[in-house]
Amino acid sequence: MNRAKFIASRTIGAILVLLIIAAACFAIFYLMPSNPAQYSCGKPCSSDRLAEVERYLGVDQAWWKQLFDFLGGIVTGRTFGSGAAAIHCDAPCFGYSFRLRESVTDLIVSRLPITLSLTLGAAVLWAVGGIAAGLITSLRRGTFTDSAVMGAAITGISAPTYLLGLLGVLLFGFTLNVLPIGGYIPLTENPAMWAFHLILPWVVLAIANGAIYARLTRGQMLEVLGQDYIRTARAKGLSETVVIGKHGLRNLVVPLTTLFAIDVGGLLGGAVITEKVFALGGVGTLLLEAVSSLDIQVIVGVTLFAAAIVIIANLLADLSYSLLDPRIRASR
Amino acid sequence: MRHRPQSHPINLCHTSVEKETMKRSALVAATLALGLVLTGCNANPELNDDSQSDTLGETHKGGTLSIFSEDPDIDFDPGKSQGLAITSLGLVLRRLTTWDIQPGKEAKVVPDLATDTGKASDDGKTWTFTLRDGLKYENGKPITTADIKYGLERSFSTELSGGLSYHKSVLVGGSDYKGPFTGKELDSIETPDEKTIVFHLNSAFGDFPWIASMPAFSPVPKDSDDPGKYGQDPVASGPYKVESNKSGAEAVLTRNDEWDEDTDPVRTAGPDEVVFKLGQDASVTSQALISDSGDAKNGFSASFVPASQLAQVQNDANAKSRLVTSGPGALAYLAMNNESKGLDDVKVRQAINYAVDKNTYRIAGGGEIAGDYASTLITPGIPGRQDYDLYKADPGGDVEKAKSLLKESGEKLGTLKLLVKNDATSVAQAEAIQEALARVDIKTTIKSVDTNTYSADATANKPDYDLVLGSWQPDFPSANGNIQPLFDSSQIGNGNFNLSRYENKDVDALITKATETVDPAEAQKVWAEADKTIMEDAPIVPLIYTKNSFLHGSNVENFVIGDFPAYPVYFKASLKG
Repeated sequence: MNRAKFIASRTIGAILVLLIIAAACFAIFYLMPSNPAQYSCGKPCSSDRLAEVERYLGVDQAWWKQLFDFLGGIVTGRTFGSGAAAIHCDAPCFGYSFRLRESVTDLIVSRLPITLSLTLGAAVLWAVGGIAAGLITSLRRGTFTDSAVMGAAITGISAPTYLLGLLGVLLFGFTLNVLPIGGYIPLTENPAMWAFHLILPWVVLAIANGAIYARLTRGQMLEVLGQDYIRTARAKGLSETVVIGKHGLRNLVVPLTTLFAIDVGGLLGGAVITEKVFALGGVGTLLLEAVSSLDIQVIVGVTLFAAAIVIIANLLADLSYSLLDPRIRASR
Repeated sequence: MRHRPQSHPINLCHTSVEKETMKRSALVAATLALGLVLTGCNANPELNDDSQSDTLGETHKGGTLSIFSEDPDIDFDPGKSQGLAITSLGLVLRRLTTWDIQPGKEAKVVPDLATDTGKASDDGKTWTFTLRDGLKYENGKPITTADIKYGLERSFSTELSGGLSYHKSVLVGGSDYKGPFTGKELDSIETPDEKTIVFHLNSAFGDFPWIASMPAFSPVPKDSDDPGKYGQDPVASGPYKVESNKSGAEAVLTRNDEWDEDTDPVRTAGPDEVVFKLGQDASVTSQALISDSGDAKNGFSASFVPASQLAQVQNDANAKSRLVTSGPGALAYLAMNNESKGLDDVKVRQAINYAVDKNTYRIAGGGEIAGDYASTLITPGIPGRQDYDLYKADPGGDVEKAKSLLKESGEKLGTLKLLVKNDATSVAQAEAIQEALARVDIKTTIKSVDTNTYSADATANKPDYDLVLGSWQPDFPSANGNIQPLFDSSQIGNGNFNLSRYENKDVDALITKATETVDPAEAQKVWAEADKTIMEDAPIVPLIYTKNSFLHGSNVENFVIGDFPAYPVYFKASLKG
């Protein structure tokens, strides 16, 4: 299969998956007892007004009708209401938030820099830290360093992010008072302050996500180091650096890339808890608020965005395999 | 139920693989417990309640006041707001009337843009207000009654609904009016000249001066209105204007130089700048305020301190000195579905009034500082309230009396379904009720659901509960606000709050009579009568009048909470020099 064909078939698959997700979202919210219109009906709310608001929000329609309206909006754009107060959402319209008075696309675009800063910074930390920890422990198997680092990794895997975050805030924000407790300064405004405000969230997210990399690296390396060809390489008199770096580590590239792509993709769709603890108004916070106020269009839009990112990240990972591993290239 | 939901149910269709979305509520508890350990606190302190409001003193001008909010955004659109007159929107938007809140005193309605609180015609159906001289918007243009009329009209449009809507059914033609964007005006609001505005009501309405303090009675200049964006940055009439308003980050208010202090009876406008820090985590905010560090020194939290963290505050002398606890406020109650089999018998409902253990209920909510025991429907701090208790018993209840009433009724009760929100405190409170009722052989199952589902279920047309735990703070300090929304038969279902589904023609008539009585003292007598009449039917069990505790930084002064509402007065808070 050539690459273009591969990408085409994956894209069709991706669109199908996204369609199913959108349909599921509308169906679930349609079947739930809560009525989103109640949030914007006012207090007190008469039954006539409630019906009007339902019509305006479009939630009086069956779920499949809402889905088609949504899909139609992507192609032709949408108009809500009528007269001087009508609201237009230009094509491609991925939904409109009546609560925030902005299109979902604009909302995601304005929140993405925060989530991007948070995720990418943390990803660099956890990839470097996690892999390094895995390597060191695999080479010193059974030593105190091994147990200590792996013990810490287990803690990292099992400790919930909310707890880690609050502990970080208590210790570094209040007790030691050396780091800001939250907030976001745009990179373009002040790069130093941007990084300063993100150190704590980065570290927290890196601890929560990096531990699995340490364990994976260690496990794979131990397996690889027991292989015949490693023994052969050592027997040939190659330096330990070459044995580990060239013959050992390469085996880990594919599984680590896969994991990394999925993790980064997932977090770009919103690092919900970390954003909440550190008052970072990113995509995760947007989704959280949308859920608690039943802002269906935002929920669907952000969910689709998050799903698309995960799908794209996976596609990139798959495409990278043939570059990273000559054996995969040869088998094509 | 009047506040934004604070809990966040897990999204059903969120596909992210992030592992951190789970197990949250247990974590909060764990973290808080840990917080106690870290700060070396006794986890079971003796709670006493001697914190009180500052007294109002001189207002120093200057500084930047921070207000920490869990909400990720502030919508300043007066049509869409359900806010109290004394909080966020009150800093930016003036109305015809507003609230004068003083510590230890009942709330008073006072003129704001108007020269008085309204003149009623003899039949109470026509109300006339006149504007003060020299009122200007932030852009220097004069404030006119046409703008108040327009501001009200736009609140009727579907696009801008969602705010406090008491005026909508009161004004003639209001029920059918669809707002100004369709090109029609509401004829029952007349503006004979730029200074005068006349309202024609369907029937006499004694509390109209309070209604005129609601957000929708703020002036909106028609030529500046863009319904989609107005709430981002409205044309200010109050002491502050919106400098920037960034969802998920912060909203910054700066001085409105066109505002004239001499025309404003309540706003003191101390700080040069007010910054709303948005989307803050409640636990982190509390910790920041307890340690009095950074911005928290010059700020306060818009949400009250959660029960779990009150213990920590009580043990920290410094933090405790900055804790302000409201008087007894919102009514927490157990509503019985009066349409359910068995519960349609008044004897059974009275028996449940005796059977409930208010003491264990209160402990589940944080103990003494959580509130005072309740017996009336009109809450303390509301003018005209008469204290009484029809079902006198120890806070622990009167099991014998309950049993004998149940026997008298002859009803065979099945297992009752008790609806509550699924946060830890609510579930603990529900369990306290469950145990208390088990003492008189009433079996209950607890149905705990997320906030959205709770609101939908509790206010649905076809209720799926026998019992439900609710809480109510009136939207304006009149007994009307206590009683009409909860007990008028027109408020059953449809998203409205008569959770006990209580229907009594005599009570409806009393409510109408009290509403239409223009003289406050006379009206108060009728409300007090309605209060008792309803409790004779025992549709609900009044549990406690809840108290809210708020923390402020050490540099904040004039941080006051009146008898009503149980929230601080934003526009009087100032910073020390």
